[in-house]
Amino acid sequence: MTRTLTLTVNRQSHRIAVAPETTLLHVLRNDLALNGPKYGCGLGECGACTVLVDGLAARACVLPVAAVVGHEVTTLEGLATAEGLDPVQVAFIEEQAAQCGYCLNGMIMSVRALLNHDPHPSKQAIRAALEHNLCRCGTHVEILKAAYRAAGHDDEGECV
Amino acid sequence: MNGSASRRPTGIDRRPGSLGGEGRFGVVIRPPVYRLRDGTFVCSRLLGVDRNSVAALPGRIEVVIEGNFVGVVATSLQAAREAARRLHLEWQPLTATGDSPPRGRALEAESSRHSGNTVETAAPQGRYLTRHYGWPSRMRWGDEPGWVVADHAHDRLDVWGPTATPTLLKRDLMALTGLPQETIDLHCTAQASGIGRHCGDDAAADATLMSRAVGRPVAVWLDASYVRDVESLGQAQRIAVSAELNAQGAIERYRNRQELAGSDTPVVALWLSGVLDTQRHDDGATSEPVSPPFSPYTFRDQRLAAPGVSREVHGDDGVLELQHGFARESFLDEVARTSGQDPVALRLRHLDDRRGVELIESVTRRAGWVWPTKANEEGLSADVNRGRGFAYAQLPDRHGRIDEGVRSAWIADIEVNRITGDVSLTRLVVGQDSGPLVDTAQLQEILQQRVLGVARPLLAREPSFDEWGENGGGESQSKLTAETRDVARAPCSTPMKGSDGEQVSALSPLDEADLSPGVAVIANALFDATGVRFRQPPFTAPRVRQALQGECGTSGSEATAGRRLSRWRWRWLAGAAVATAGAAAMLWPWKSPIAPVARPAANLYSAETIERGRLVAEAGDCAVCHTGQGGIDNAGGRAFDTPFGTLYSTNITPDEATGIGNWSYAAFERAMRHGISRDGRHLYPAFPYTAFAKTSDADMQALYAYLMAQPAVSAEPPANELSFPFNMRALMAGWNALYHDAAPFRPDPSRSDLYNRGAYLAEGLGHCSACHSPRNVLGAEQGGERYLAGALVEGWEAPPLNALSRSPIPWSEEALYRYLRGGESELHGVASGPMAPVVAGLGELPESDVRAIAHYVAAQMDASVNDTDDARSQAQQLVARSAASTSGMEAGERLFDGACASCHVDTGLPSFTQAKVSLALNTNLYSERPDNVIQSILGGVHATNVSGIGEMPGFADSFSDSQVTTLVEYLRARFAPGEPAWSGVAERVSQIRKDDNKTHG
Ligand code: FES
Ligand code: FES
Repeated sequence: MTRTLTLTVNRQSHRIAVAPETTLLHVLRNDLALNGPKYGCGLGECGACTVLVDGLAARACVLPVAAVVGHEVTTLEGLATAEGLDPVQVAFIEEQAAQCGYCLNGMIMSVRALLNHDPHPSKQAIRAALEHNLCRCGTHVEILKAAYRAAGHDDEGECV
Repeated sequence: MNGSASRRPTGIDRRPGSLGGEGRFGVVIRPPVYRLRDGTFVCSRLLGVDRNSVAALPGRIEVVIEGNFVGVVATSLQAAREAARRLHLEWQPLTATGDSPPRGRALEAESSRHSGNTVETAAPQGRYLTRHYGWPSRMRWGDEPGWVVADHAHDRLDVWGPTATPTLLKRDLMALTGLPQETIDLHCTAQASGIGRHCGDDAAADATLMSRAVGRPVAVWLDASYVRDVESLGQAQRIAVSAELNAQGAIERYRNRQELAGSDTPVVALWLSGVLDTQRHDDGATSEPVSPPFSPYTFRDQRLAAPGVSREVHGDDGVLELQHGFARESFLDEVARTSGQDPVALRLRHLDDRRGVELIESVTRRAGWVWPTKANEEGLSADVNRGRGFAYAQLPDRHGRIDEGVRSAWIADIEVNRITGDVSLTRLVVGQDSGPLVDTAQLQEILQQRVLGVARPLLAREPSFDEWGENGGGESQSKLTAETRDVARAPCSTPMKGSDGEQVSALSPLDEADLSPGVAVIANALFDATGVRFRQPPFTAPRVRQALQGECGTSGSEATAGRRLSRWRWRWLAGAAVATAGAAAMLWPWKSPIAPVARPAANLYSAETIERGRLVAEAGDCAVCHTGQGGIDNAGGRAFDTPFGTLYSTNITPDEATGIGNWSYAAFERAMRHGISRDGRHLYPAFPYTAFAKTSDADMQALYAYLMAQPAVSAEPPANELSFPFNMRALMAGWNALYHDAAPFRPDPSRSDLYNRGAYLAEGLGHCSACHSPRNVLGAEQGGERYLAGALVEGWEAPPLNALSRSPIPWSEEALYRYLRGGESELHGVASGPMAPVVAGLGELPESDVRAIAHYVAAQMDASVNDTDDARSQAQQLVARSAASTSGMEAGERLFDGACASCHVDTGLPSFTQAKVSLALNTNLYSERPDNVIQSILGGVHATNVSGIGEMPGFADSFSDSQVTTLVEYLRARFAPGEPAWSGVAERVSQIRKDDNKTHG
């Protein structure tokens, strides 16, 4: 059964006709052409689909779209502002923290969610927060470096 | 989405403004039996108090005992309630003589024309008529609960709260405390008007006794629990009126006898504490003869008699005038209608007063009064009746001068919903001749206010086990639009040129007594609409409903009854008559078919009735079972696996060929109460008619109205696949004889209204026990200790709801409420499986109903009111304990980390998709069986039904049976380490997967 829902994505309001139990990920990618969030496992296990809902990390592949009505959704596309890229994105670029890049959306969005909550998390907190974001290419070292940089840990080098 | 999550529980623990920082909260515990009848008070005697029973509770708890008065005072209302619940009291049952069944229902008896005290005989000259009219000792206090605070300190007393009778309250408080009048201050919230004493006075006295005992201000929450006082105090007044009519229909002889004192029934605390002599209170010693009530009419032979009553007692509230006005004006209406006369003409015939006659003529002209009344039935649904009534009053002024007095004539138009009992006052024309020099605009304004003040308590809602809260039915009072007119400012016969004192009295001519026609006018209109005579106020929806239902099923009516009912009654009785005839002719166990009828027109019922029916349907979760997988609502076809084979739910849309479109109400009711289909076949008890039988008549009719108003869907459900001998439907007759009680719900008078409402919903419509009680080998629910002891349903476990609950943290009433309202309890888990649509259905019900169910279930579990601090810290410990796995089950741990941990472990990443309830608190992991855990892993948890409970994907397609088994065993070991490992998990996994594949195709 389709219903017309009003979603706020990247500060824009959209009205879409959709079955309310459709996952947010499908709506973002298929209806709104926002392909930043990736489809990895579809079971909430890998984190590739992560978006922000009211600034909190959310796995879009397990979230029925109806659950975000009335909430603010931000995708990777919405991080940058007129002034430029988000500092987390800048850090990932500076650290060249990608191999194939499939996991990057989830990594960047999760770090953003963490920093929204605590602008200066410890390295340990960063590692814990990213524990359930999977990277199949083994880019973990670079990714963590980028995350530390975004969190203001300037000392490069050892990262574990 | 239903928006229910945003509904907040009423903040009743907010501190009332007058309480101050030192204040305490009090709750009273009334004796199991107490009642006042004809001046004699009897009650159970308090034998002992076990103060130890509340000693262990946190905070300061004080128990106040004075005679048979028991109160509990604590630092919060919740704490006081909890202590009151736990406090162990021993009461002596009433002795045989005093133990006659309480006549609490005497109120109802007065309302109906079947009351036994009505005599109508042929007198030699014409006709002779006697009627009794009653008046309750207590009215309800209004629409909203509220605080009543008393501060008894330093030989003075301050009371804050609502009262309609301040003089009486003060008198009672003086008697209660022994304080002189000047030391008692009533800070009463303004009351527009009163039609008698209400329970605010009883609450004030309760607070006073408790405040005196603890030496601090005490606040009492005045709510529906005080309705017990209304019932126990019974009638304050009974007035017998009789008349003899001559052949021309004129009244020859008129008698009016007042049988009781009136409105001065003292507060309950006075009786209980023993300050008043509990045997007699109205002994003659304090009484003095009082002048008989004034009557504006002249009859050839008239006698008005009143017993000796202390005048100052009711001097200030004018209730006696209201009572007499009600009796007289109701009686004249009865006389007119039984003798076939215009009630207005009958009055004019006996009225000598020129100004009165002019006023009445003017009002009847303005209102367009015709006789016989012809209510406009245009646009009226079959379940709504319109009616019109007239009443008149005249009183001498305060100096006893009749000419200077006030005359007041009222015509009311009402609408009565016969199913919900709601009475709406649709139009009121009030004419008032208040003597000379009256400011018309001001008079009109005051009248309007006062009229609303009278009508509100008369018609207000009243708790009853089948009353549908604030969302149900019509809001009678909100529709009340009084069209108030100062119709005739009759020419001044004595122009006002007197002293200042005279002027003042003329400018404030509105005694309560001006409103005396207000009560009778509604009773008269009610009779006009329904043919049922109410001889005692108030006319609240439950009382109206009850009276109408009593009337509807009974034959042999008065000549005047049922004039406007014909259309409505005919429809119902046609069906009923067939049922009776059929029943007489048939042999057990064959039930005769009930003749098919044409589908009732969609607009046969009013929107109010249909809305009430919608709530009934939601409470009964009809659509949960009667909607197939992915099918259309209520079109049937959902499969039920029973040990006896597969059953399919039926189409209950009003389609005539495949649904219930050609079912008469009689057929529908028989199916609901007796499990017999319209065509006479027995239904299987998978359809919980055993529970639905408890539904009240009004709700049953409303449900029928609702279902018949839905779109018809043509859909034939699959045939049932039952194994022999269970495919023999006739066997169900024997089953019914063994296990089925078709009696409607009867509230337990010793329990609260909240409990009874909860029991009505949970045992009846909500049919909790259909899932949560185990069944015996023949498929009958087990009672006694096994009632709500848990069972397996559709491959899910419906956990025990009684003392056997396996929840690691004990449930509280509040937690149950939040779970039922929002689908989630932070200490127990979320609603999933077949419970999810149940919660979604409950989301449609008013908050009060969900609270009632929670209250009832909590009572079965012996749960506390709130989550205790103990429970919270215990929960924290369980969560902390499960932070790391100690089981050494590596394979399980890997599966958990990969598939579950991202949502079920708190990594410190603030997340919207984080599971809100820790697995360490999840009741399912502590259960005796793994079924619900397996179901959740395979199928997931879906928020389609309840928004905001989070969503979990199913892993049926990504996990093998052995992976699920490994994971389930790991979860049990990690999160419920105190429980023994489940055995046979692998078998259950493969079985449940098989069953799920079958149902989901
Ligand atoms: S795609 Fe959403 S968590 Fe893997
Ligand atoms: S960079 Fe390829 S998955 Fe992480």
